[in-house]
Amino acid sequence: MIVLKSEFTEPAVVVDRVSFSYNSLKVLDELTLQVPRGISFGLLGPNGAGKTTLIRLLVGLLRPKYGRILILGQTPSRKIAHLIGYMPQLHSLYIELSVMQNVDFFARIYHVTDRTERVQRVEQAIRLVDMWGRRNDAVQKLSSGMKQRVSLACAIVHNPPLLFLDEPTVGLDPELRVTFWEYFATLTKKGSTLIISSHTMDDAAHCDSLAFMRDGKIIAQGTPNDLRRATGSPGATLEDAFLYFVHSGKADNDD
Amino acid sequence: MTSQAFTIAGRVVRQLTRDRRTMALIFIVPVVVMTLIGLSFPQAGVLDYIAPALLATLALFFGFLLTGISFLRERSQGTLERLMASPLSRLDIVVGYLCGFFIFALAQTLIILLFTIYVLDVNYRGDLWQIFIFQVVVIIGAVNLGIFVSTFARNEFQMVQFIPLIILPQVFLCGVIWPVEQMPDYLQWLSVVLPLTYAVDGLRNIMLSGQSLMDVGLELAVLVGFTILISIIAAVTLRRGA
Repeated sequence: MIVLKSEFTEPAVVVDRVSFSYNSLKVLDELTLQVPRGISFGLLGPNGAGKTTLIRLLVGLLRPKYGRILILGQTPSRKIAHLIGYMPQLHSLYIELSVMQNVDFFARIYHVTDRTERVQRVEQAIRLVDMWGRRNDAVQKLSSGMKQRVSLACAIVHNPPLLFLDEPTVGLDPELRVTFWEYFATLTKKGSTLIISSHTMDDAAHCDSLAFMRDGKIIAQGTPNDLRRATGSPGATLEDAFLYFVHSGKADNDD
Repeated sequence: MTSQAFTIAGRVVRQLTRDRRTMALIFIVPVVVMTLIGLSFPQAGVLDYIAPALLATLALFFGFLLTGISFLRERSQGTLERLMASPLSRLDIVVGYLCGFFIFALAQTLIILLFTIYVLDVNYRGDLWQIFIFQVVVIIGAVNLGIFVSTFARNEFQMVQFIPLIILPQVFLCGVIWPVEQMPDYLQWLSVVLPLTYAVDGLRNIMLSGQSLMDVGLELAVLVGFTILISIIAAVTLRRGA
C-alpha cells in the first residue's frame, strides 16, 4: 500500500491488518487503515473490492477473522453504537411507516429519550434532507432518491460524531448529489467524521481524504490532490490516479 | 422488558396496522378457516372433541406463520441489520418483536376461540379465561418459534417450506388426529419433545375434562420452558452479523 502524507492526526478509525473471508472467499486481506477525526474519508473501489464488508466490520456487524479494529478508541460493540450513524446500502426503512415515524423510531433506539429534544432533532434531520413537505407520506410512496434522503435522516438524527455511509449517493440525481455533499461538508465542519464508500470518482473528488481499494486491499491513501499528483502527469483525474495505483501495484507484485 | 423493546413493539404494531390488506387478512382468514371447519363437522360431538386440538394447532400455525414471514421481511429489507448496528441488545430486539407480533397472533387466536365457542357452539367444561390463558402461552411459544426459524430462511419461499417441516409433523404426531398411544413406540418418544403434544393435552384437559390451569401444570410448565428456551436460542442466533 502507498500512503501519502496527511495533515490530519488522532484517528477516529484504526484498522490494523484486518482479514475477513466469507467461507473460502477472501474479501479483505491484511487491510490497514487510519482515518483522522473530523474529515470525510472516501473508500473508493470497484464493486467487489470489499468496501461494504469493511464498513460492516467497522459498525460491528461482522467480526474480523484476523487483525484489530478500533472505533473512537474502542473495539466495535453495542456500547459505542450510539456514537455511530450507519446508512446501509439498501434503504433499510419501514416502508409502511411515514417519513416522520421512521426517523422518530431511529431517534428513540439511539437514546434520544427526551421528548422535546427528540421532536426537535427529528424535524431538524427531516428538514436537512429536504423531506419536511413529505413527512407524513408512507416511505413506500417515495422515489428511490427520496428514500435515500430519509435513510440519511435516520442515520444522522442522533447527531453521531462518526458516520458510516455505504454508497449514499447511488440513485441520486446530480442536483441531489451536490446537496448531499454540501451537507456532508457542513457535518465535517462541525467536527463529525464521515466514512463514505463509493465506486464513482465524482464522489471521490468531494472527500477530504481517500483510500483506493481493490481485491480486499488498500492500494493507495491520501488527499485527492496528493493522489492525482502522485501519477506524475499534470491534469490527471482521480480515475487516472486509480488506474496508476492499480498498475503500479501489479508491477510491484510482478517484481 | 426495557423501554427499547417497547419502542420496537410499538413500531411493529404501527407498521402492521398501516398495511390495511394484511390487517384484513389477519382478521378474515381465521373466520373463513373456522367456518369451513364448522361446516365440515356436521356431528356436534365430534367437533367438541376435536376443538381443543384445533385451537392449539391453529394458534401454533398462525403465530408461527405471521411472525416467521414478518421477521424474515425485516432481514431481507435490511432493517434488521440496521437494528443490529444500533445500541439495542439482542434481547431488546427479540422481546420487542415478540410483543409486537404477539398482539396480532393473540387477536387471531381470540377470534378463533370466540368463533369456536359462540358461533360453532362447541361445548366445553373448563373456565373460558383459563382456556384463554393457556392459549396465550401457546401463542408466545409459536411467535418465538417463528422468530427463531426465520433465522434459517433466506427468502419467503424457504420460510414457507418450514411449515411442512415444523408444523405438519406435529399435527400428525401430537395427538391432534389420533391418540399418541396408538402410534409406534419410537413416534411416541418423538411426540414427547414436540410442544404441540402439551398444548393439545392441556387444552383437552381444560375443555373436555373441566380441569384448571393448576391441574395442567405439567403441560403449562413444559410450554413455558419451551418458550424460554426458544427465546434464548433466538436471541443467541440473532448475531450482530445476522
